[in-house]
Formats: sequence, C-alpha cells, structure tokens
Amino acid sequence: MGQTGIALDLGTSGFRGQAIDLERKEIIATVLTARHPLPGANVMDHLNFAIEAGLETAHGVVIETVNQVISTLGIPKEDITRLAVCGNPIQLSLFEGIEIRDLAYAGERKKKLMGIVPPNRDAKKLAASDIDGLFLPPGVGVYIPAAVKHEIGADALAMMAQSGLLENRDIALVTDYGTNAEMALKIGDRIITGSCAAGPALEGQHIEFGMLAAPGAVHDIEAEKVGFRCYVLNQNMISEPGDLVDITAGTVLETGAVGVAGITGTGVISILYEGMAANLIRLPQIKTPQKKIHLGKDVAFSEHDITEAGKAIGAIRAGFITLAAEAGIELEDIKTAYMAGASGTYVNARKALQVGLVPPGAQKVYQVGNTSLAMARDIVLDPEKLWELQDLARALRANHCMFGDSQVFERAYLLELSFWGEGMPWEQYHKFSRMYKLPRLIEPYGEPEIIRLYERDIPDLGCRGVSYIDIVGKPCQVRFDGCTGCGACVEKCPEKALQLLPEQQPTILIRPDRCNGTACKRCEINCPKKVFEFALIPFIS
Amino acid sequence: MPKYDKMAYASADEMIFGSAKNPVKYGRDFTVGGGYVYPELVPHPRPGTESTKKTLVKEYEKMVTDVLDRCVGIGIPGIQIELEHVYQMTKNPEWGGEIAAATKHLQEDYFRKYGLKSAIRATVADYRKPDEEDIRNSVALENQLKTFETSAAGGADNLSIESVGGKEISDYTIVRQDIRGTLFGIGVLGSLDMEFMWKKIVAIADKYGATPGGDTNCAQANVAMFMAGGFQDRSVPHTFAALTRAIAAARSLVAYEQGAKGPSKDCGYEDVIIKSITGNPISMEGKTCACAHSDLLGNLVGACCDLWSNEAVEYHDMFGGTTVAVFAEILGYDVSLMNTAIELGKAKDLQQMMIHSDKYRDTHGFILCPENAYEIGKAIVANNTSYYARARAAAIKSGELMLGDSKLQISAFEKESLESAMRTLESLPDKEEDFISECTDIYKKLIPGFTLANYGL
Amino acid sequence: MATVANYANIFVRYDLIGSGEAKGVKVSNKDSAMQKVLDCVLEGDSDNIAAAVNEALASKDPMTVINDGLIRGMNEVSRLWDEGEYYLPQAIVASDAMLQGLDICEKKLGKALEKKGTVITHTAEGDIHDLGQKIVNALLRANGYNVVDLGKDVPVDEVVAAVKEHKPVMVTGTALMTTTMTAFERISKRLVKDSNYVPFVCGGGAVSLEYVSGYELGIFGKDASEAPGMANDAVNGLSWSQLREKWNN
Repeated sequence: MGQTGIALDLGTSGFRGQAIDLERKEIIATVLTARHPLPGANVMDHLNFAIEAGLETAHGVVIETVNQVISTLGIPKEDITRLAVCGNPIQLSLFEGIEIRDLAYAGERKKKLMGIVPPNRDAKKLAASDIDGLFLPPGVGVYIPAAVKHEIGADALAMMAQSGLLENRDIALVTDYGTNAEMALKIGDRIITGSCAAGPALEGQHIEFGMLAAPGAVHDIEAEKVGFRCYVLNQNMISEPGDLVDITAGTVLETGAVGVAGITGTGVISILYEGMAANLIRLPQIKTPQKKIHLGKDVAFSEHDITEAGKAIGAIRAGFITLAAEAGIELEDIKTAYMAGASGTYVNARKALQVGLVPPGAQKVYQVGNTSLAMARDIVLDPEKLWELQDLARALRANHCMFGDSQVFERAYLLELSFWGEGMPWEQYHKFSRMYKLPRLIEPYGEPEIIRLYERDIPDLGCRGVSYIDIVGKPCQVRFDGCTGCGACVEKCPEKALQLLPEQQPTILIRPDRCNGTACKRCEINCPKKVFEFALIPFIS
Repeated sequence: MPKYDKMAYASADEMIFGSAKNPVKYGRDFTVGGGYVYPELVPHPRPGTESTKKTLVKEYEKMVTDVLDRCVGIGIPGIQIELEHVYQMTKNPEWGGEIAAATKHLQEDYFRKYGLKSAIRATVADYRKPDEEDIRNSVALENQLKTFETSAAGGADNLSIESVGGKEISDYTIVRQDIRGTLFGIGVLGSLDMEFMWKKIVAIADKYGATPGGDTNCAQANVAMFMAGGFQDRSVPHTFAALTRAIAAARSLVAYEQGAKGPSKDCGYEDVIIKSITGNPISMEGKTCACAHSDLLGNLVGACCDLWSNEAVEYHDMFGGTTVAVFAEILGYDVSLMNTAIELGKAKDLQQMMIHSDKYRDTHGFILCPENAYEIGKAIVANNTSYYARARAAAIKSGELMLGDSKLQISAFEKESLESAMRTLESLPDKEEDFISECTDIYKKLIPGFTLANYGL
Repeated sequence: MATVANYANIFVRYDLIGSGEAKGVKVSNKDSAMQKVLDCVLEGDSDNIAAAVNEALASKDPMTVINDGLIRGMNEVSRLWDEGEYYLPQAIVASDAMLQGLDICEKKLGKALEKKGTVITHTAEGDIHDLGQKIVNALLRANGYNVVDLGKDVPVDEVVAAVKEHKPVMVTGTALMTTTMTAFERISKRLVKDSNYVPFVCGGGAVSLEYVSGYELGIFGKDASEAPGMANDAVNGLSWSQLREKWNN
C-alpha cells in the first residue's frame, strides 16, 4: 500500500484515529474508543491520576491505547510514514510524556512553590523513537501542533482554524462543547479566547440517566400531537425514531424500533428545551407528579439533573457574556456562531440556542464537527501546516481571557447559578446584569439559519469504515494483603469497573477505562478491612 | 342533552339559607328548603366493623342512637342522617337495606316518643372502575342498582350517589394541570355517565316512592380542591381547583335534569351554583366537616344551604360523648343560629357575615359566593347547546371573575396557572363533537383502559 | 350591601407573604432615617447606605443603628432568601451594603462590634476559583462572624498556621478542581495531628460528600448558604462529628 498517515484525536471522552492514504489523499479506516483509557470522568481526573500515579504510568497507559488504535486500524507498521496528533494540552503532554503539573494548578503561588516550569508546548516534529513505548518504526515522523496557552490548546487552535471562523468577516464566536468548553470570539482581526469548566453534564455525565453517545442513547425529543417522540441512536449510531412517551408519567405510548437506555448531553438540552416550552419545567422545579421528565419506564430526568445541566449551560453563557465584555461589544453584535465537537454537531442547534448554549444574537449557526481530528488529518496530509498553525498560535497568544480571574465572569456566573439553581426570574437577572454593567443578555434569535456542515462529527469514515474499541487499554489485576474477597469494592463501584476473580487468593480485576479515578475511590473508601489502596493498583505492567 | 335554559332565581340576592324555590318534603314531617335549615349528620363506622353484616348493623344502631339521643338532649327539632355507604354496604345489597331499615326503626321510635323530625339519605358507593370494566354493564353497577332498591325498600327517603364517570381522565389531568382533559373528564364524560345513571336511579326512586336526591363531583372537583390544599400547598394551584369546581357545577346539574329533586349531596361544593339554576334545596358542609377534610370556605359555603352537614365523622369517644353526638350538637347549634336569624329577619345579615368571612380568603370561596355562583349559573344556562359548551362556559366565566376582582389577591404562581388555563379554554373548539374527537385521540393514548363505549359514544 | 374595610382580623393570606404582590418585607421602622437604613440593606444599595447610616447616627446611638437597622435588615434578607423571595445575588449585595454600614457605625463606636466567632476561609492550594468562597465570606460576615479570608491558592501550611493563630470556630475550604481538593485531606491530617479538632467545611464544584466523608474533621458544604447555620452550630458547641451528623445525613 505504501504511504500511509495516521491522524489521531486524543479527546477527553475517548480517542479517535484515522488511517489516510497519503498519495490518494483518501481516508482508509476509522477507529473510535468507547472511553478514555485513564481512570477518571474528565480531564481534571486524568490529570489528577497522572500526578498521583506518576507521569510515566499515565503516559504508558495512553501510549498503550494509541498502539491499540493503530493496530485496530489494520495498517502494516512499515507502511506508516507519519502520525499527527491533536487534543487538549493535557492529553498531548501525556502523549508526549512531558510536564503536566503546570496544567493541574491554576494558582501561580503553588506552581512557584513546587518549582513547576511549564514545558515547551510549541509545535514540534519528533521521531517515533522519541515517544516512549510507541509501537512504530523509529523513523516515523510524529507531529504535535502548538498550544495557545495553558487552558487553550491545539484543540482550540483546531476549532478556530477548521471551523471557518478565521475567514469570517463578521463578529463570530466558536465554541467547542465539552467538559471544558473552549470558545473564541473574533472581532475583525482580534481574537479573544476563553475556556470554562462547564463540567460533564453536557457529555451526559453527572446526569442520573446520562450516557455518552452509544446505542440506546436519547439525543433529542420532539413533541407530537400526543406525547413526545424519543430520537435514539441505533446499533450503527444513526438516529432513529424511538418510543413515543408520556413525559409526565412513566408510560410508553408507542414502542419504537430502538429501546431507550439513557440520555446524552444533547438529549439533556432537548429535554430542558421541551420541558420549558411545555411549562413542565419551571426552574428549578419539574411540575409533574413525580417531579421528573420521564422517557418511558426506566429513564427519567430529575430536578437534580436540571441543576447539573444549569451549571454547564450557565458557565458557557457566562463565558459568552465575559468575552463580549472583554471585546467591548454587546451580545447582539455576535451574529454568527460555530458549534464544534461531537455535542456541537449532534445537538439540535435551534434548541441549544433557545436554552442558552449559543450566543443569543446568532442568526447563522454552523455545526462544524470534530475539528481536532480534522486538523490532525490536515497536518498528516501536509506537514507544512504544522508551522502555519504555530504562527497562528503565536499571534493569538496575547488575547486570552482567564475566566477564573475575571470579575465579569464571576458576576455573570453568579446570576446564572441563581437562575438555574434557584429559579431567579428574568427581571431580577436583568436588574443585576444592569447593576453589574454586564453586556445585556438578549432574547435568543427566533429563526436562525442553521448550517450543518456534516451529518456526523467525523464526516468521512473511510472505505473500510469504522471500528470500535470497547475495552480500552488493558485491564489490570491487584491483590491486597488482608483482602477477604468480600466484594464490597466491586459492589460499590458506580461504573462496574471491578471484578472479583475466582482465584485462591482474592484477586481484583480492574478496567482502568471504566474507573472514575481519584475523585471517586469508592472502592477504597468502602473497603471494610481498609486494605484496598487505590495507589497500589498496577495500572501498567 | 342539557335541559335548563333559565335561572330559578331572578338574582343572587334572592338566595338564602333555609329556603329553596322547590322545597322537598319527605321522612317524618321533614321539609327541606321550606324556610328553615336542618342538620344532616353523617356517621362513619369504625374500621373492622364492616367485616360482618351483624357487626356493621350493630355499629350503625349505636351511632344513630347516639345522634338521636343528643338531638333530644339539647333540643334539636329535626335531623337527617346520611348513610354514606362503605363498600360492603353496596356490594352486599341486603346490608345497605338492613341498615336503612334499622335506622328508620330508630328514627320512628324517636319520632313517636319525642316528635323528633327525621329523614334518611342513602348514598350508594359507586365502585365501578371506568378504566377496567364496562361501567354500563358491570357487576358493580348491578349491585349498586340493587342496593338503591333495598335502601329505598328499607326506608331511605333520599337516594344519592357520588358517581365516578370520567374519573380515569381527571385523575391523570388534575395533577398535571391539564384543563382540557379535566373539562373532558368532568364536563363531558362525567355528564354523560350521570345521564345514564340518573335515569336508572330516578326510576327506582319512583318505584319505591323515595326521593331522588343528588350527585356530587367528589371524585374529581373535590380531589382538585384537596390537592390544592391550604395556603402552604403548591401541588395543584387553587385557581385551577376553582376552575374544576365551575366545570363540576355543569356536570352535577345533570341529576336534576334527569329528575332528581334534592336536597343535593353535602360534599358537592358546586351545589350553590346548581341551586341558582334549579331552585332545588341543597345540603352543604363547611367548618363542620373539618373532621373529614379541610377547606377554605368554612363559613361562606353555608350561605344558601338547606341542610348543614359534617361530611363524615368516624365513630369514637370524645370527652363530650361520641363523635357523632358531638357533631350532631355542633351542627344543631349552627342551624339554630341560622334559624334564629331567619326568625329575627336578620338572615341576610348573617349571610353577609358568612360570605365576607371567606369570599377573599381563597378562589374557591370567591367563585362560590352567591353573586359569583349566580353569574356562573347564568353562563351555564346561556350555553346549553351541549354538556361541553356549558361546562366550558362555566370555567371561562369563573376565570374571568377571578381575574376581574382586584380584591381577590392571587399569587404570581396561581395567576400564571390561571392565565395559562384560560388561554387553553379559549382555544378549544366550539363544537362538542370536535372536542370529543380531539380529546379521544389524546387520552386514548395517554390513559390505558379509557374507552368511549363506557359513555355511550 | 355591607363591605369590609379591613380583612386583617378575618383572615391572613399566608400564601402571599413573600410574593411580589403582598410585598414580602415585613420589617419597618417608624423613624424615617432608620427606615432608610433598613431599605438600603434590603435593597443592597451600597451607593446610599453611607448617607443613610450617617443620617441615622445623627439622632441614634451606633448600637441602635446596628441592631435595629443593619442587623434587623440583614435578618429579614436571610428570611426572604430562605423563603425563595430573594435570590443569591440579592443576599450578596445586601450583605455588602450591611457591612459598609457596619464599618461606619463601628468607627463612631470607637471599637469593632463583638463578633460571634472567627471563621477561617480559603480556596484550595492551586485553585483560583473562589466564587464560592466569596459568597461564604459575605454571608458569614453579614451574620456577625469575624472572617479571616486567606484568599485563593492557599498552601496547606498557611491554613494550618492560621488555625493555630486565630483559633476559629470553623474553617472552610473551597475547590473547583479535583486536582486541588486533595489538599483538604492533608489539612485535616495536619490539624488532627496537632489535636486541633476544628470543624472543616469543604465544598465547591469538584468536592463530593463521599470525598469529604473520607477524612476526619470534614463536613461537606453543599451550598454556600449553609455556612452561617453551620457556624452557629459550631459556636453553640457542636463538634465536627455532630456537625457532619446534622448537615450531611
């Protein structure tokens, strides 16, 4: 076959890889992992794990999975000429195996105290042999694009470069929706970037029946004459009309082709929108007999879920307000919005706009797909692109707004928390917004033009199609002295990551990819003998 | 089809407690609505006594004796006793009949000995299940009709019921503040079921020379009122409960169109609207029914009553005697005060006091004060083209009244709910058949077991 | 027909108290200057609180202005917030105004008002997300506590040293990031080692009940609004474990 390139996107919720025929400039195959290989539910958990378990271990687990992705792509190693990788700075540093502690702490005092020196995160071309454990011929070129600033990485650069934002002459804003929502506002030549910890609700996590996009996941609901139709992902991850349900009770009115297993982040947005439109959600309450929005017998959306989703939506909206204030413009001046990432692609953009996830004045909304993988693909096809992007990153460097230090963000977020969590009425919101001199939050534009560039977040899966890796990385085994094999740790694990092996000495099998990591540790906390020590788990052999 | 097309009274001002346009005379020297108010005492047996006929009859005999004793003890001129059937009394028709006979026997005794005037209301339990069975051909229906016969034969003077037609719909819609479905369940289905039931009840009453009394929307409008609850409760808005009550008036009216004469059932809070239309006497309950449930119109609801009731009190001991005796005494003094006002020519003054106590306390009292009740009555008779049209008109009128009186304070939450319901009511189709077809599509899907056949449609 | 001029002795519409129509505020003062102080606190009017307090001080002694104006107003704000009439931003601006007024009164008094107790607050080492801590500070101060605000990105040593120095009734820690909250456990261990069993309330985005229950002294703070109630309990002698029992179960 000859010249083949590998494009990799190391996302927080999983890795995506593509093999590309460099001569024909065609995609051959795509591989997706169901989860991130490291323990943890979000990037901060991954970081925390890397600090506690050691950078070497974290790097090892990541590379092991990269090898797994490459081998699943089914390309003979000797045919691979180069590999380009994209992702947020934490993932890229873990991949490269360099200092990450500067990303773990926002406080400068602590960083100085610990003698942390931020590593060089400029664009680089390395050899496969520079990356410990990477199972590729030593001479294969490895391309890592530049980060803009510690919170704005190569993935954000991709978001700006690949969405079309940079070519747009109007005032426009691009957002990559994820656990960390990244956004960039462009006003003429100026670009102001920001990054806010939206939390995992928009990925379906921290939501009682939340799940990542997978078969059975409800990603949208629509009112019909009677009841609401659930739109569900089928075995091929294609949306299909599912059950028709009475959202005020747990009844299925009409059974659809695909059963309902849970709710994705985009489903959460749809439920919020429809619930509010039907007057059944009056923040912060749900006005149904069981105070839930039901999607059939087994799946429901609770008032607690509203608060969780509200935190995420509120943080993103506060981000819009802050960027507008920083730029000295009003929200109504932002007439174009780009939505990136998987959530940004699959969400119903009209509903997202109405609930507050899109700048309210947006008259044109582009849904642009996974820009991170797209950038890796571009680099692998044309390595020169790496340096162009580096120049772009340098030019952007001066204009980053740290939301954590911004009083505007703090105030806007305070109002959002009261709005979503306490049901503060709009009049109060606007009154305080005026008092704080924030850009005015206008009513969402009624009839936006929605331009969906691709049907899927990854538009072209290649001639060999897509494969999924369900068991990501390698399960590992551990034995603890004094362990009685009672199974409390197995039982208490919220992600079913543990298994008790039928061996003479009690042995526990752990799926790191399922594990929620250091922020959870329910296994350790619930061990009645206090012998379970999370730190002793050998995550890498 | 609706029959009433005009009001019995020329104005609300004409309506007063103790007098009805069409008084009813039955029992032992007992006239209701003929100028004075009488108490109606409702005793309820203790749990466990319903296990055998023998224990239950015994329980009733004790309770009735206590009531009649207390009447004589403090000088109450007359009393009606309601036998509000526990399930077993209807399921076993001979039980209901035997208890009616035992009660009559005691009443006769006290009439002979002391001249105590008396009457019996038998209220048969409607235990049909509209979402599970053919309510026009079920064993339950058969038993209920038989029990009407045994009761009348046993000596019941007044035959009443709390019919449940449309309850399968309203149980779903009330907790969801779905006014359309509530209108459908009560205003349309409830009315149709009453038409069916009351033809049969009136025939039985005629056969035995008993008086067909009345029906109440206890199963629906009272559910809404109880769920709306007191000032602290927020599960069902009080404004919504008030709309439900107005709809119930259009529905409970059907009994009289089929030949019922009253006095109406005590827990039908909508009865004052019905009295304004029919001129028939009504039985009401308010502060004296706190033993059974709370309401926000304890004085006002007595403004036009002809019988004054306690809803139901379980038989127990209190310091002052058994509960039934105590409540007979409370009711007795209440009506004594009303009758004193009548004798002194001060009835309208007392009525004003009752009204002002509660007119602005809550939406329910507000729409049921005589002048507003009268307006709702007018809306009902002016829209007598269909059960649907008049029930909808009653709801809209009551909503307009609530929004139109600045003295009635409504919280933002209540007002929002009312305005939303009003928008829905205004947007509904004009023709009953269109409404029925729209609702059938919707509720057939939402409510398992709902079938139009139960309502002759 | 008779009309009733005043229904107040016939019935009370308890359902309307706290809603816009019935004007939720239930405190007033006959003295017009004092009423202005109350109004400024209730409305969170920091622009005019100084003038209002000075006007009141012309005829009233500082303690009266504090007790009948500032504290009374703030108590009413707390009640309105509890009952869902006020929202968090209103509680914060009210406490800002109240504290400004208090400053003026204390100057006139020549000394600071005796506080209910001292609370140390901080945002975890490595973390700069201190919105939650700022809310806690405002609410504790407005409720009469001396707050030692260590700020954000505070090293473990500094928190431990501050506890030794100030002998607080309670310590609070805020963290948004899971990477930083681990400092709480270290603080707890150090305090316990010094036999210092001060209640340590931890909260913020990343922090969970499960995590906080994993170390001694830890009490999970679900919401900033709980802080004054917890501090009151601590002043009343509840131990850290009693506080955990009461607030976390």
